[in-house]
Amino acid sequence: MRPLDVIVIGGGLAGLMAAAVAVNRGQKVALLTYGSGSLPLASGAIDIINAQAPDIVINNLPAHHPYKKIGLKAIDAATKFFCDITAKADLPYNGRLSAQIPIVTAVGTLKYSALVPESMDASNLINKKKIYVVELKGLKDFYASMLVDNLKKYFPDKSFEVAKLDLDLLGGRDITCMDVAQLLTDNEQALADGLKKLNATEDDAIIIPPILGLEGNSSRTAIKPQLRAEIFETTCLPPSPPGIRLQRAFIKYLQKSGVRIYENSKVVRGVVEGKTVKGVVVENAVREKVFPARKIILATGGFYSGGITMRDFDKPFEPIFDVPVFFPQGEGNWSNRNLFENRPQGFAMTGIFTDENLRPIDENGAILFDNVHVVGANLGGSDFIFERSAGGVAIASAYKAATI
Amino acid sequence: MEKATVVVIGGGATGLGILRDLSMRGVKAVLVEKNDLVNGASSRYHGLLHSGGRYAVKDQEAAKECIIENQIMRKIGKSCVEPCGGMFTRLDIDDEAYEELWVKGCADSGIEATPITLDEAFRLEPRLSRKHVKSAYLVPDAAIDGFRMAWQLIDSSKRYGGELKTYTEVIGFDTVNGELRGVKVRNQFTGEEYEIGCDIAVNAAGGWAGFVCKLAGVEIGVQPDKGTLIAFNQRIVNHVVNRLHKSSDGDIFVPHGSITILGTSSMSIPNPEDTSTSRAEVESLIKIGEQTFEDLRDFRILRTFAGSRPLYIPKGGAVGRSASRGFAIVDHEQDGLKGLFTIVGGKFTTYRLMAEKMCNQICAKLNNTTPCRTAEEPLVEEVSQADKDRAKQFFPSFGVNLAATRLGVDRFKKVVERLESEPESRELVCECENVTRAEVEEICKDDTSFIVNDVRRRTRIGMGTCQGNFCALRAAAVFADMGVESTSKDSLTRMREFLQGRWKGIRPVLLGRTLRETEMTRSIYELSMNVTGGAPK
Repeated sequence: MRPLDVIVIGGGLAGLMAAAVAVNRGQKVALLTYGSGSLPLASGAIDIINAQAPDIVINNLPAHHPYKKIGLKAIDAATKFFCDITAKADLPYNGRLSAQIPIVTAVGTLKYSALVPESMDASNLINKKKIYVVELKGLKDFYASMLVDNLKKYFPDKSFEVAKLDLDLLGGRDITCMDVAQLLTDNEQALADGLKKLNATEDDAIIIPPILGLEGNSSRTAIKPQLRAEIFETTCLPPSPPGIRLQRAFIKYLQKSGVRIYENSKVVRGVVEGKTVKGVVVENAVREKVFPARKIILATGGFYSGGITMRDFDKPFEPIFDVPVFFPQGEGNWSNRNLFENRPQGFAMTGIFTDENLRPIDENGAILFDNVHVVGANLGGSDFIFERSAGGVAIASAYKAATI
Repeated sequence: MEKATVVVIGGGATGLGILRDLSMRGVKAVLVEKNDLVNGASSRYHGLLHSGGRYAVKDQEAAKECIIENQIMRKIGKSCVEPCGGMFTRLDIDDEAYEELWVKGCADSGIEATPITLDEAFRLEPRLSRKHVKSAYLVPDAAIDGFRMAWQLIDSSKRYGGELKTYTEVIGFDTVNGELRGVKVRNQFTGEEYEIGCDIAVNAAGGWAGFVCKLAGVEIGVQPDKGTLIAFNQRIVNHVVNRLHKSSDGDIFVPHGSITILGTSSMSIPNPEDTSTSRAEVESLIKIGEQTFEDLRDFRILRTFAGSRPLYIPKGGAVGRSASRGFAIVDHEQDGLKGLFTIVGGKFTTYRLMAEKMCNQICAKLNNTTPCRTAEEPLVEEVSQADKDRAKQFFPSFGVNLAATRLGVDRFKKVVERLESEPESRELVCECENVTRAEVEEICKDDTSFIVNDVRRRTRIGMGTCQGNFCALRAAAVFADMGVESTSKDSLTRMREFLQGRWKGIRPVLLGRTLRETEMTRSIYELSMNVTGGAPK
């Protein structure tokens, strides 16, 4: 096998983005995935950082923060590239690096993100008089009355109405948003007819669970012109259709662009010569196979995805290249007393430290491999969930690694 | 003023046993508990129904009581007991001489201990260490569900007129000339303070018994002794597996449904409210546990928890492991307060016997000659096969049995009727433990459901593999829908509190696959739901 230009390990947001950027630059790319990545869990929106002025906040981050290594220019370019790709895949996103666009969550809070699928962008909610919240008979995990109770706190002056639609979903059991979205993909007229019966006007908003298909924006495009009111999707418990749409949009783009995707490919180690990784070894049920490449992008995720694991206390490790993993030592530093607290969780800062080019370094700052670049959740030094930067770090680090 | 003949203080196994016993003997009794039921050592324990083998050498009286009560409990509490049997294994590092003493002790105490070959032991428990295990015996240990038993005791008591007030804390005693007139209490939610008039009060507050005595101006020697336990996500053992040695830390494994509990440690603490656990305690339990099961670290730890045994320490008595597991009844008339009793010490396995002895004394004072019948009558009726078959149309048969025994005859019937008539109510609020929305709603309606955690303890939502990841949102929403208004907290606060409750037990074992679950929890509730409600600064 002739060496590829780039091998990306990991099919989550960071891996998909890295492969997309690399192939877009004319490189020969393979993507090795094991499991489905964490996008089906995700809201579908891309958070960059929880701040009104992201550029200032990012500039003031400590030097070990991944954003400091990536730089504002690359972050900005990454958001543009992301919006470009998703628009081409008929999954338009609104926003930019410095935007904070509100989204209605399934529990009725507002969440703010930099890049938001058009179907979830609730910026206009503030201008509406009446808000309909639509429940579907038989759909699990969407509790309109709870949503209204909490959303009222943001909009005490608006009137709210809970509406219940019956799309004849019952029969089996436990129907999730993903099931309904699957059912409605290219088959959305029943929903459109039900929503029309609300007689909502231009002054109104309709909030629905994220059920508008699993492919791009087509279901929404079909329904939107039939309604006078604006329609917004919420987030939901996993599996999350907006996350799945994003995953599918990227995969479609990669396939169209000639990226070879090898699923169920568990990378077990690298083929190392000095400070260069010549390729990676993939293990499947019957044999091992070597994939030679000039550049390796490690996008295997953090604790959630298994890119970093920890069997014994104070001994986290990275299973493929066994590069050093940095972590807060000792029980007191490992976690906070409360699950939700106004400061980062220690364990969540665990990860690989890198140089400016995202290459793994040891505790003395020495670069371990010249051609391995670490992206996404296995980067160390910050709690991406606490600072609302998980999506931003994923796409920006991927962009940077793929353009070096 | 509210009135009862007897006020029972404390909603643990002992207090509940007393409430049931008195009610069955026709004595008007009310039980007050400052938290939810079985909030102390009656749920924060192994869930082990002792055969008595554990005490066969040190305390044969306790051993004899255990084996008798063990047999009774299997009969009256069939659906709380998992008759998995027990095994005692001696390791190469354990004293051989002790094994001889133990065999003799079991024989003397009436505990059937059957020696088995090592081949047989490894066949029954394939994960046992082939390197360390040197001999093995089978004994009639069993697993028991403390939560389920508690609510079955309540159902039984209520049938005979017993009354229950949870979240009702005792704040003082009304006495006139050294005679008890009533118990002063406070509702934990409303803050309302009132008095329940009574002739007799029984302090069965377990680890809190000392505090209750203090309110009455009397003293009792009770030492809260903390034990830490670990819940593993798999059924590592088929039997209760005990180390055959002088009782020590981390030497008992108990299987419960799909999990295994390992424990415990023993540490004197000043405050029974202290249920904290640490990484060091967990590490030490695992280190001991892996002598018996070498691959123990490969199993995912679900959580850790701790409770405190209320050890009775007579003046000048031993503490900790050496303290007796026996129990004591104190009539405080000897201290100049007529009408107050304290019952302290003992074990979960012998709760019924303790209650019987306590009630015998109370009834003697009341000139009530009705004999105790708690050993003969089952706690609850069994759910009929016909009702179970109806339920099987809607959810997996594994879940049917569990739901039937959790709910009892009447509530189960109501739940099945809803499952039949309202397809929406069939959805699972908790997939890990197979709990339907119909069941959660039924329990929400109960007069002991004040917070989501009360519903958790009764239905097992949030207690399984995902530790509340999915059901925290659902339970908070159903709770809000059902209009449970005991607290003014909104659904977001309820959700956070529920997850925080789970977090407490996860924190000291935050490694391996539990880290993954935690990152999923945070990703859902912080990123997708923004339950902290924050806006960009």
